[in-house]
Amino acid sequence: MSEVVVSLNRFLPELALVGGLLLVVLVDAFRPPKRDAVNHALTVATLLAALVLAARQDASPGYIFAGMLAVDPMAVFFKVLLLAASLLVALMFTFRNSRELFGLGQGEFYVLLLAVTLSNLLLAAASDLAMLYLALEMVSLTSYVMVAYLKGDRLSNEASLKYILFGAVSTGSMLYGLSLLYGMTGTTSLPAIREFLAAGLTDANRGAVYLIALFVFAGFGFKTAAVPFHFWCPDVYQGAPTPVTAFLSVAPKAAGFAIMARFFFEGLATGGAGAWDLAGTINWQAMLMLVSVLTMTVGNVAALTQTNMKRLLAYSSIAHAGYIMMGVVALSENGARALMIYLLAYVVMNLGAFLVVTLVHAHEGTFDLRDYPGLYRRAPFLTLAMGVFLLSLMGIPPLVGFMGKLYVFAAIMEKGREFWWYAVVGALNAAIAAYYYFRVLKTMVIDAGNEEKPVIRLAVADAAWLAVLVAANVLPLLWWSHIEGWAATSLSRFAGR
Amino acid sequence: MIQVEHYLVVSAALFSLGVLGILTRRNAVNVLMGIELVLNSANINLVAFSRYGEGNLSGQLFAVFVIVIAAAEVAVALAIVLTLYRLRRSPNLDEADILKG
Repeated sequence: MSEVVVSLNRFLPELALVGGLLLVVLVDAFRPPKRDAVNHALTVATLLAALVLAARQDASPGYIFAGMLAVDPMAVFFKVLLLAASLLVALMFTFRNSRELFGLGQGEFYVLLLAVTLSNLLLAAASDLAMLYLALEMVSLTSYVMVAYLKGDRLSNEASLKYILFGAVSTGSMLYGLSLLYGMTGTTSLPAIREFLAAGLTDANRGAVYLIALFVFAGFGFKTAAVPFHFWCPDVYQGAPTPVTAFLSVAPKAAGFAIMARFFFEGLATGGAGAWDLAGTINWQAMLMLVSVLTMTVGNVAALTQTNMKRLLAYSSIAHAGYIMMGVVALSENGARALMIYLLAYVVMNLGAFLVVTLVHAHEGTFDLRDYPGLYRRAPFLTLAMGVFLLSLMGIPPLVGFMGKLYVFAAIMEKGREFWWYAVVGALNAAIAAYYYFRVLKTMVIDAGNEEKPVIRLAVADAAWLAVLVAANVLPLLWWSHIEGWAATSLSRFAGR
Repeated sequence: MIQVEHYLVVSAALFSLGVLGILTRRNAVNVLMGIELVLNSANINLVAFSRYGEGNLSGQLFAVFVIVIAAAEVAVALAIVLTLYRLRRSPNLDEADILKG
């Protein structure tokens, strides 16, 4: 009993989310006047409270709830990242600036947003196979419902259908792999699994671990939209309401990478001098490298011909997942730090791009790139902001996207000469990506068209959030030592081993 | 003597049948049946290993959670399939083909 009390004391952000969630459900059920505004305020307040609690959380390494969840600097880092992403989405995408969501009931949306945030936090800290599967499925289920939010819309329904069927197969396969892993090691706790694998494997067991790796990677690959589990991504991103797409492209993906890093680094790796050797002598690195290269390439090449902005950004997200995976491939402290920095940058870049797409749709009613010409004349600030976000996604210095790419490439290259081809492939992919990012910018700025259409007047709140995100892309370079220091101390748990 | 291998073969067969069902069935509800088969094959694995392997209860605990998740997943999936039927008057999945490219 006392262990539960001690655990609850280290579980405060999640408890705040649960309390807020229940409050929003109750408020929505009792239907007070102005309940939408009240619900929005409650959601923002809950996320803010959880963010403050997570930032002030005592991050000394330890396990709570009998080893189910881990509390350590890396988990706290990801909790802060995920809560900040949810908070930004809740603040920026009101139901008034999204043409798709305008007029729909808001209570359920906020409940789902809080629920998926809670599941993301649990997923980022999961330290046991049962907790991992539970949190992963909870993220997935709440996401399925969020994608299906537009009940009368065929696109939304088809997107959620493809999402749930694909997700069910992937997570079902992952569960089968986890059950085999439990059978082989006799335990569901990740640290205990690592010790079992570190003790050495027979040849038969080594083959079994290969098989388990393939199954389990189905689940991780689905969550992070890695090839060959990416097929749901463009359709779901296109069919879902754009605020939901913006949220899906950052938060569950970040949580998926958090648990991927935790599974590989904590469940399967034994520490060395600043590097990890994966127990079991399976060549995980080769497998992850192959997946990463395919992901980057497929994402970038497929985005070249897209005209729907949401699909283009979907393929761009797939490509970025490939870059982030470079941090996992590096299998070192620098790699994990690169992963965290890239995810920080990715949140502000991607949310910015999706906010611009949402605003253009709200004012113009279109997601098609062929309707974007002339926006430079009609909405100069919007175009400027989109330019900043696109350049950041491309990895142009001094924007924050460049810092992310710098760290992942550096982490790969310092592994040795035999990894340099991999960095070259990454650089080539960044060059390919420049084409479609520049194409969007060119269409907005240079292309002639839509001369008869009037000037777009952005709402003050929308312009303010665009300014905040532009600043978030441009300014981090000024405080770079602090940001890097924060990511470095978040790794001190793993460096100690 | 029934040993753990027997359970593993049964669950592997169920997993394969489930995946086959998901990949080849046209009606959405039949695909959901396949999903259930996949999840329950993992359950058989977990309970069999709990009995024959280390002997601890973690497998059975995990299996209980999986049952809960499977129920929740089917609830959500059926809601989405119901919406599909309301919008298109047909439960056939191959007719959901607007999103492509």
